[in-house]
Amino acid sequence: MAKQKAFYFDASACTGCKACQVACQDKNDLPPEILWRRVFQYGGGSWLKQGETLVPNNLFTYSLSTACQHCESPVCRDVCPTAAITKRADGIVLIDAEKCIGCRYCQWACPYGAPQFDEETKVMTKCNFCYDLLDQGLNPACVDACVMRCLDFGDLDELRQKYGDLAAIEPLPTDKITLPALVITPHKHAQLSGHGTGQIQNLPEEV
Amino acid sequence: MNVRDWALIAFTILVQMSVGAMWVLRVAHSFATRKYGVEEADRLSDRALLALVPVIALAFVASLFHLGDPLNAYRAVTNLGSSWLSREIFFGVIFAVLAFVFAFLQWRKIGSFILRNVIAWLAELDGLVLVFSMSNVYLLQSQPAWNSWATPISFFATTFLLGALAMGAAFVANYAYLQRKEPGCADTQCTLMREVLRWVAAAAVLLVGVELVVLPMYLATLASGSTTGLASVQLMVGSFGWALALRVVLAFVGAGVLAMFLYQNALSAGHEKMLGNLAYASFVIVLAAEVLGRALFYAAHVRIGI
Repeated sequence: MAKQKAFYFDASACTGCKACQVACQDKNDLPPEILWRRVFQYGGGSWLKQGETLVPNNLFTYSLSTACQHCESPVCRDVCPTAAITKRADGIVLIDAEKCIGCRYCQWACPYGAPQFDEETKVMTKCNFCYDLLDQGLNPACVDACVMRCLDFGDLDELRQKYGDLAAIEPLPTDKITLPALVITPHKHAQLSGHGTGQIQNLPEEV
Repeated sequence: MNVRDWALIAFTILVQMSVGAMWVLRVAHSFATRKYGVEEADRLSDRALLALVPVIALAFVASLFHLGDPLNAYRAVTNLGSSWLSREIFFGVIFAVLAFVFAFLQWRKIGSFILRNVIAWLAELDGLVLVFSMSNVYLLQSQPAWNSWATPISFFATTFLLGALAMGAAFVANYAYLQRKEPGCADTQCTLMREVLRWVAAAAVLLVGVELVVLPMYLATLASGSTTGLASVQLMVGSFGWALALRVVLAFVGAGVLAMFLYQNALSAGHEKMLGNLAYASFVIVLAAEVLGRALFYAAHVRIGI
């Protein structure tokens, strides 16, 4: 079976510091409004008032660092009218800026918000797995920047053997649509996609 | 709503209206040919056909405003194998070319009757494939508000509703023009126009009925389907509730009430002035309703995930 490059994320260790996000923007020279890697804060529960005291009631929160999932069945590639999106032999999904006409259709189709429009170049951009670094035998910038060592990458099958096959915790969508190349170690409070009771806690401009 | 969104609203509405108009025009023409001969039929519909040309052209110009890089728009037909958007543009371009060629040949009476008919039929059939492709563009699993049986039904309803009323208005304008140029010309044209307007009015009432039945069923299915679907419904009946209400009222008034009056006034001769006003008003009001409906379509979809 052909290799498929994949990201691994350990939600049980992530502190939500966003070093990965910043490293990604820095390495790829992205404008402030484009975030190829984004860190979500997901949380829920409430405070109950008991007399003069507020008591936590099932409060929980956890962080989720996520980028393009370089899906096994990339819907962005399927719907692109100009065939600008392709999948390399190693599974990395790339946008050819020369072919892209900036119609934003992939943005509607991708449930991970991976393809983002660049107002400067007028075409779509997204995480390219730092394939330039990979091709030199180096790590993606986000992986190297993680202070908690909770980001990793590798072959999807090997990552699954090591960490299991969970790829859909809130706020991520179901993994049935695009078959994301993603392996997650859940946080102890993680909720499965579609069964969430919380909300994304970030400000809209943060993600 | 920004320029990009308005570009899509204009493109989809104008294309659908043109496909519907082509069908209505052709049905009216063949009806008129059978009853009054081909010359009267041509007098009824040739100017309306010419009027379609700028509408189709405008639709495609509008679509370019949706793109980040319009100069490379030709590339949009290079993924026919898997992209419905590619197919939409492909069948759209074919429709435009066939419609332009047909309008030109018909205007100059070049080529045989059969040849022109064949081209027109191809345009009509391609138009149906075009609206079908257009619906499929929106059947994305990550967009619950679009990924619904209601999308193709509404698109086809809009196609024939706007097509019928646009042609109703065009036939009325044509008759007014004929009368001015050739006073007293048009006993046959007058009867013909009234007969066609009756069918236009009946079709409008039927189609607005379909729309008004589909809408609540769609909202109910969407609201009970998923939390994301429910979020869309909350947008449609909440912050955009005024637009939804206005859209329903305008459709009901334009294609319901006014079309009924149109039908009644077309039953007997002598109401030509009134017929004209009703046909124009009905078209303009329903056009506004459909534009509002399409604006809601683009404003209230919520994607699943992040």
